[in-house]
Amino acid sequence: MPRPITILVGALGGDGGGVLCDWIVAAAHAQGLGVQATQIPGVAQRTGATTYYLEVMPTPGPAPTALALNPAIGEVDVALATELLEAGRMIFNGFVSPDRTTLVASTHRVLAIGERAAMGDGSFDVGRLLRAVKERSKEQILFDMDQAAEESGGVLNAVLLGALAGSGKLPIPGPAFEAAIREGGKSVDANLAGFAFGRGHARGELAQAVREHRKRRAASNGVEDLIERARQSYPVSSLDVVEEGIRRLAAYQDRSYAALYLDRLDAIHGLGSADLLRDVGRHLAVRMSFEDVIRVAQAKTSRERLVRVRTEVRAKPTEPVEITEHFKPGIEEICAILPPGVARRILAWAERSGRLGKFHISMHVRTTTILGFARLRVVAGLRWWRPHSFRYVEEQAEIERWLASIRAAHPLNVDLARETAELARLIKGYGDTYKRGLGNYREIVAQVVAPALSGRLSPKVAADAVANARVAALADPEGQSLAKTLAAISASGVVVRQAAE
Amino acid sequence: MLDQPQVPVAQRTNPERSFREEVRALRLSDGEVFRGEGILAVTKAILQSGVAYVGGYQGAPVSHLVDVLVESQDLLDELGVHLETCTNEASAAALLGASINYPMRGCVTWKSIVGTNVAADALSNLASPGVVGGALIVVGEDYGEGASVIQERSHAYALKCSVWLMDPRPSLPTIVRCTEKAFELSEASNTPVMMELRIRACHVTGEFVARDNQPPAISRNHRLDAPAPHNYDRISHPPSTYAHEKLKVDVRLPAAQKFIVEQGLNELFPGERSDLGVIVQGGITNVLMRGLDRLEVEGKIPTLVLNVTHPLVPDQIADFCKGKRAVLIVEEGAPDYIEQAVHALLRKRDIDTKIHGKDVLPMAGEYTAEVITDGLLKFFAQSANDIDLSRPRERFEAARAGRSEAQRILGGPLPLRPPGFCVGCPERPVFSAIKLLEREVGKVHISSDIGCHSFGTLAPFNLGNSILGFGMSLAAAGAVAPVMQKRTISVMGDGGFWHNGLLSGVASSMFNRGDRVLVIMQNGYTSATGAQFIPNTSGNRRDGETTSDIATTLKAMGVKWLRTIRTYNVGTMLKTLREAMSTDQAGLKVIVADGECQLARQRRIRPQIAAQLKRGERVVRTRYGVDDDVCTGDHSCIRLSGCPSLVVKPSPDPLRSDPVAHVNNGCLGCGLCGEVADAAVLCPSFFKADIVQNPGWWDRLKWRLRSAVIGAMAGA
Repeated sequence: MPRPITILVGALGGDGGGVLCDWIVAAAHAQGLGVQATQIPGVAQRTGATTYYLEVMPTPGPAPTALALNPAIGEVDVALATELLEAGRMIFNGFVSPDRTTLVASTHRVLAIGERAAMGDGSFDVGRLLRAVKERSKEQILFDMDQAAEESGGVLNAVLLGALAGSGKLPIPGPAFEAAIREGGKSVDANLAGFAFGRGHARGELAQAVREHRKRRAASNGVEDLIERARQSYPVSSLDVVEEGIRRLAAYQDRSYAALYLDRLDAIHGLGSADLLRDVGRHLAVRMSFEDVIRVAQAKTSRERLVRVRTEVRAKPTEPVEITEHFKPGIEEICAILPPGVARRILAWAERSGRLGKFHISMHVRTTTILGFARLRVVAGLRWWRPHSFRYVEEQAEIERWLASIRAAHPLNVDLARETAELARLIKGYGDTYKRGLGNYREIVAQVVAPALSGRLSPKVAADAVANARVAALADPEGQSLAKTLAAISASGVVVRQAAE
Repeated sequence: MLDQPQVPVAQRTNPERSFREEVRALRLSDGEVFRGEGILAVTKAILQSGVAYVGGYQGAPVSHLVDVLVESQDLLDELGVHLETCTNEASAAALLGASINYPMRGCVTWKSIVGTNVAADALSNLASPGVVGGALIVVGEDYGEGASVIQERSHAYALKCSVWLMDPRPSLPTIVRCTEKAFELSEASNTPVMMELRIRACHVTGEFVARDNQPPAISRNHRLDAPAPHNYDRISHPPSTYAHEKLKVDVRLPAAQKFIVEQGLNELFPGERSDLGVIVQGGITNVLMRGLDRLEVEGKIPTLVLNVTHPLVPDQIADFCKGKRAVLIVEEGAPDYIEQAVHALLRKRDIDTKIHGKDVLPMAGEYTAEVITDGLLKFFAQSANDIDLSRPRERFEAARAGRSEAQRILGGPLPLRPPGFCVGCPERPVFSAIKLLEREVGKVHISSDIGCHSFGTLAPFNLGNSILGFGMSLAAAGAVAPVMQKRTISVMGDGGFWHNGLLSGVASSMFNRGDRVLVIMQNGYTSATGAQFIPNTSGNRRDGETTSDIATTLKAMGVKWLRTIRTYNVGTMLKTLREAMSTDQAGLKVIVADGECQLARQRRIRPQIAAQLKRGERVVRTRYGVDDDVCTGDHSCIRLSGCPSLVVKPSPDPLRSDPVAHVNNGCLGCGLCGEVADAAVLCPSFFKADIVQNPGWWDRLKWRLRSAVIGAMAGA
């Protein structure tokens, strides 16, 4: 008796894996092929991983007494995955093998909760996934089926079925699958379109448009001379970053602020490391364009944003869209744009009276009404005032201290200088997030960078320690990892103690 | 959802879930071919067996049995079959009491092991007097990959109650035959029969030739004019119980063993190697068969398939083992009841066949293809080294080495994908609020329960200290609350409340003057099992009227501090929790967190909205978004919400490397992300967008006017 063709399907809840199996079973039946499917469907909720397993006899006739209900390592002929990590999971579990398995998978990623909840970039290395896919399967049919579904107006499972049909690994002709889709009776046209797309793609008849991910660049308005100045003196490797920095800061504040950026960078350039220049160029631009209410108002009322929101929420050209913004400024946000003297007094009072971090104004502003939009435009128009604001003064001082430590670190060890520059990544966000990030940043500077600069810690060790501490700071919002890491660094005894006398 | 009208709990119905195809399959008659899943085949088989009543409590993987029958009311009416959607498994087991006195066949179903635990009292009291009408319990053996409960064997219950246990080979004709024979076995031995089906067996597809459904002789359509005459022997009370115990071993057991042999319920697959043999539980036969095939010895080793795993038939086992050098017992799970029994019975008969089992196979854990192959290789190496297994062993080792290589390339474990709350789930905001509460007051002891809300114990919430069973969260805090400086919070679903929580939890806590906080998630269904109706939904399939209201029930029980809160408003939920934790009022404090199950809601409203759009009516679609140039990529919002539609994407900012938050097109506009950003003071990135579909002239005029002015004001 011939051996069955074995098919393993890895899907996410809600991907329609069950319907996919129904289609395959129906199509096999219609061809007179013995077939059996089973599933581990997970729970009723639309998340979590689900698996399906099918066996299809290659020729018509009676099937053996027992078809298997469980996949076996090294014995899967076709592995289907609706998402790249799920393909990786089948490979990880040994079900995909280079001598036997044809892997048909979508290349798009749906990040798992652990990847999404990370405080920085927590996504699994796609390079590793793709390498495993290429090395550990016999043949591959890979494309972004999520996008294909969107382009064809179909659903992902239909595209995957099409790709399976196009692979030619089952003795079932395309029309039999189409008949199964019709028989299913749900969203027939959309599913047939998805099927045709997937099948065409698997046979190499269709190319998919590469989905472009564009980085948005700030507009250049009258800063060509500054850009020219950078081009004259800086190495090419840093220019994309520096030019963007110039444009960004001119739009954020004004020309002279962008010029200040270049002045600051000149001092770093003078140290002679192109890599360091690029790192600092990137972080300095972000730090100088710190998020205050003026910047938020600028971003929320830009012309480009109005268009972007409509596209993002998929409004048709004839459909009006009402936008409501969620704001909740507190005492600190308000003080940020007051003169420093006034702001300090208010903050001190707020701290004494326990109102700091407790008092907020919850505002839902409708920016699609004329008055709502105008309110934000007024705030955005405060740009001219920003250099006189408390936050501006504080930020500039903090930036100068940061640049000074980078400059001081460079002669000791270039890695320490770069790691100190990279620490700026911790400072981001608003409210508590900002405070937490800034706190972590200061802690690391005080406990690792400063001792290195004063000669109490070897610069080479400190460079590693700063990197470890940075990663730890991004590991959990409660700061437990950072505390542990800093404790380990000081306990490791590498701090060279000063003589007791 | 905040701005959208909420359907009161009493009006929540779930009409879009449909089993039309399945219902049709149940009507197949003599000679027609049934195609479908295992559990549906069982459902058809009980109708073919002439059941008079069916009942059960939902739970994977057997929910469909009752679900499909709920939608087959016409068919049930024609046949006269009574259907009872029970509020828990104890109630379902007690239903079988009808077969103690009356020659009526009945079938009930639930998820095991947990359901059997709940049913245990009624089960013992049913098994003791025994039955005159066939009584079948279909249990979903929720074991191994995909299981959601503690890993224990239902087998223990069969042994201690003297209930027979079937474990049919997962092929539809076998499953159907076993189901039909189970009723006969039950009647032939006056004993209830339990039939266990594993997850894959419930969902396995296949076909069998159907027979006509049998209308029961005693039924709703053919009622009895008088009850059974009083017979004290039928009552499980002393001294009858002493007699029952003897009857079990002296009469019922031999009768069952005789029936099993006569009807050939266990299957013998012959093989040329008469010196070897395998005894396997019916339910895992397919894994074994493929394993033997993999070792190229399929069809060569005699195999005894136990479709009935309790009782064993000693003669059958002895005959099989006699004259063999070695026999392997393939028995999944711990303890190894069958292996122990076989050892004992062979010893008693002085048969010296070497028995292998848990020495070459693992004591605990699912018997997957790999585990079975590994065990078979060890068995043959010890018992039959004349069989050349070098080629299959090499293949097997190569596959394992390949997996190690793959894992090396992937470099460590892949991110897990645990189940979580759906997009727009009304329960998520409660956990967001508890997280925010903990920011204020510190960690709180959270007593969790069974249901969707148990996902609160997973990332990103990680809230929950224990789960003690369905509806048990309040009771489980009983001895924790008195030793905590802060009050404890018990979370319970409305499903759990009616299943057990009302009595085991609320009544006991009130009686003992417990000073605890209870949050009841009132979404209107038992959602984790597929949105079945419960007493506080309108949808008891009969008259569409709500049976019982939770708040009214609690008031009647004397609960003084009671708040009913719409869940989506995180701020209000937080305030209410804060009050419950800090109020001077002693006693039980209950928050009914009200919000309809979003899956059910979407099933209901999607077709309605599609129809409205088609008719050209004005429909406002709400969804949320994140301004990607305002977001700085900290993802606090994700850690406080975990919504599947709140994802991350690469930052559009060329100067930033951390990915930014993004609301994808799965968004249903529940507003939690915006609420959380507001309540936790996160960031100003979130916005709400109301898209006016089929706008009227006033919408369009207003929009044009505003767009013109706003366009002129907009910045670069």
